[in-house]
Amino acid sequence: MHGMTTYFIRRLLLIPLTFICITFMVYTVLRVVPGGPIEQAVEQIKRAQMQESGAGASATLTGDLQIPQEAMDELKKYYRLDKPIPVGYASWLFGIMTLDFGKSYIRGAPVVEVIVNRFPISIYFGLISYFATWLVCVPLGVSKAIKHKSMYDLGTSIIVFLGYSIPGFIACLVLMMLFATDALGMSIFPLGGFRSDNWEQLGFFAKVVDQLHHTIIPVIGFLIGGFAGMTILMKNSLLDNMGADYVRTAFAKGLSERRVIFIHALRNSLIPITASIGHALGLLFAGSFLIETTCNIPGMGLLGYQSVLQRDYPIIMATVVFGVIIRLTGNIISDVIWALIDPRIRFGT
Amino acid sequence: MMDTVFKILQLVAFLAVVFLLVHKIVPWIVVRAGRKLGFRMRMTPVWAKRIARFKTIRRGYYSFLIITTLFAASFFSELILNNKALAVHYNGKTSFPAVKHWVGSILFFLDIPTFEKGTDFGQAQESDVDYRFFKKCCGNPDELLTRVADKEKELKLLKKELREMGTPDEDWSESELEDYKDTQFFISSLDKEIEGIRENHRIFKEGRAWVIMPLYPYSPYEHLDVKHPPISPSLSHPFGTDDAGKDVLTILFYGFRISLLFALVVVTLGNSIGIVVGGIMGYFGGWTDIIIQRIIEIYGSMPFFYVIMIIASITKPTFLLLVVLLVLLRAWIGITNYIRGEFYREKARDYVQAAIGIGASDWKVILKHILPNSLVPVITFTPFEIVGYVAALVSLDYLGFGLPVGTPSWGVLLKQGFEYIKTYPHLIIVPFAAEAFTLFCVVMIGEAVREAFDPKVFSRLR
Repeated sequence: MHGMTTYFIRRLLLIPLTFICITFMVYTVLRVVPGGPIEQAVEQIKRAQMQESGAGASATLTGDLQIPQEAMDELKKYYRLDKPIPVGYASWLFGIMTLDFGKSYIRGAPVVEVIVNRFPISIYFGLISYFATWLVCVPLGVSKAIKHKSMYDLGTSIIVFLGYSIPGFIACLVLMMLFATDALGMSIFPLGGFRSDNWEQLGFFAKVVDQLHHTIIPVIGFLIGGFAGMTILMKNSLLDNMGADYVRTAFAKGLSERRVIFIHALRNSLIPITASIGHALGLLFAGSFLIETTCNIPGMGLLGYQSVLQRDYPIIMATVVFGVIIRLTGNIISDVIWALIDPRIRFGT
Repeated sequence: MMDTVFKILQLVAFLAVVFLLVHKIVPWIVVRAGRKLGFRMRMTPVWAKRIARFKTIRRGYYSFLIITTLFAASFFSELILNNKALAVHYNGKTSFPAVKHWVGSILFFLDIPTFEKGTDFGQAQESDVDYRFFKKCCGNPDELLTRVADKEKELKLLKKELREMGTPDEDWSESELEDYKDTQFFISSLDKEIEGIRENHRIFKEGRAWVIMPLYPYSPYEHLDVKHPPISPSLSHPFGTDDAGKDVLTILFYGFRISLLFALVVVTLGNSIGIVVGGIMGYFGGWTDIIIQRIIEIYGSMPFFYVIMIIASITKPTFLLLVVLLVLLRAWIGITNYIRGEFYREKARDYVQAAIGIGASDWKVILKHILPNSLVPVITFTPFEIVGYVAALVSLDYLGFGLPVGTPSWGVLLKQGFEYIKTYPHLIIVPFAAEAFTLFCVVMIGEAVREAFDPKVFSRLR
């Protein structure tokens, strides 16, 4: 157990370092490349000044509208971009410690508030998709392993390969095109959104139905993202175990095939699947930009996408923070779960 | 109808030629040339066995043939799908605009002009020649005469106007005089124009003009003159047009080339870096290994897709910058870990220890002994990585952070499909089908390659 403890301590110690490296990189990128909020504000001020000078087309032609230095300083201060990069980053990092992510440039609200509203929505979809993936992939993988090399195995393999070759958001697009517009004569599902506009006025039962109604298409999109990998992992893992000595022993004892597979082999082969929960979290985060944008779900992904378009630096940074934390904790959770459920595993040796 | 069938037959013939070129002629030449240069040009038994095994997995092998043939064929896109003529001749002047366009796109560092002035080819406009109209005139020169009839009607009207004005004398006002002169000018220029068209007509009639058009005479860089784009699929445009009036079929083909090329370049560069870094880590071990491992751990937990979105949104990337971003932020990491593992394992083997023992240099051991034996993961992962980066490019294009505006792209089509989801489903179905087909084939190849190179034999009792 000694090696394991040092392994996890090392992993935990690496978290702050990783966190700082990545956020510092993104912070530097945002500060260095042109086209940030200051430039945009200056553009706006220039445009406003031009309009003030009325039809003064000559002024626009010369284009020599200078922004006074004080105004520039004011702007930089407002956007918290007045200090040099290391100092600015340090003060940003210090703010993060006290959960002060700053104020959104566009929305005016504190970033924490914006994110607190969005985060549960992403979690909701993340969890449902994860369990849906389990529900689909484990039975499929198991049945494929049992009927290895049969027609059933080959046929389902084609579905698995198709799932691998279609990105989730494209699946969402196609499903919405088929079932949420009048393409097939009727629209079964809503065209995106998290809930109906009149959700608050609905009764309890109607609320649940409405929510499910809006959930199905995005969840299928998320599901496709991990579908192929999970199924194949399940199948190979079970096949590996089927060749193991303890399975041979179980057969030799005279146990039924059903009992050997479902009681002995399956339990061991579920280990890698269970441990993949952490990595799945990271994958969901990456997929959410596309699916949330496509299905118009106001979660973290859509927020991140919009803030990139709007150059809303505080929110961009906050999204990166969440992305990194989810990935890091996800990886560690995976390792911990693995170590907990499989005593054979020794990390770091 | 017959025309369409004939065109499809031509296309099939072309694909057959490309197939032979890629899978028979080029390998034959390479082997021959290699032997001439003194190489043995024979596969080691291990490789021969692997390839034979790959060929027995038919779905993978056929997918491989299909994708490689289509990919090779797509490098001739400018000669098959183009609104410029392969060859055009008019009154003693011959030009090959599509061929120039093709050479210019293959040798992208050269700047080869393809522009031909319309007036040089008997057309009214100063801008580029309308080769489709040119072709129409070749087939039916009398087409031009309908334009003459219109112009003559106009001329008659103008002449009548002039007659009604009478002849100018002293008591005409300044403006009346101006009008008169203008009308006179119009008449003379119209006369000239009609004369030009008649001359033009004569040239076409006498067969002094001919044109060879590509199989499908539209281009993804051309905004078609349609009223309200997008338009739905029709006979002349089997997949319709996008919202800028560009033909979707052509976007599909050019997009296929650019997507696969993109993924191939990213994977090749990423694998090269991964092999070098992973090799160093695995061979030298110790502190080098630990430090690089930590760096990779930090690097790998970066939400790379988001970071690329941020950088791309601000810098408006080109093809090259996007490749560099994906390679540096993602593509090298996965393969590095595998190569590191392989090097670790191989280094402990007796043959490597023997080589080190007789005093072979590090470089020689790495390049000559370990590397050839640790390439299996590189080969088995490459198809799946290609799938990943094609999807990444489609995703980035879809979000609007991809290749420069105007580049033919599946992602942009999907984005437009999203906007017109209720009215123009073809903008979703067509790129979806193309993407799914292509990546499905690549996945099949990957599965077969994995099976052939790294076969898993599962033992079962029952």
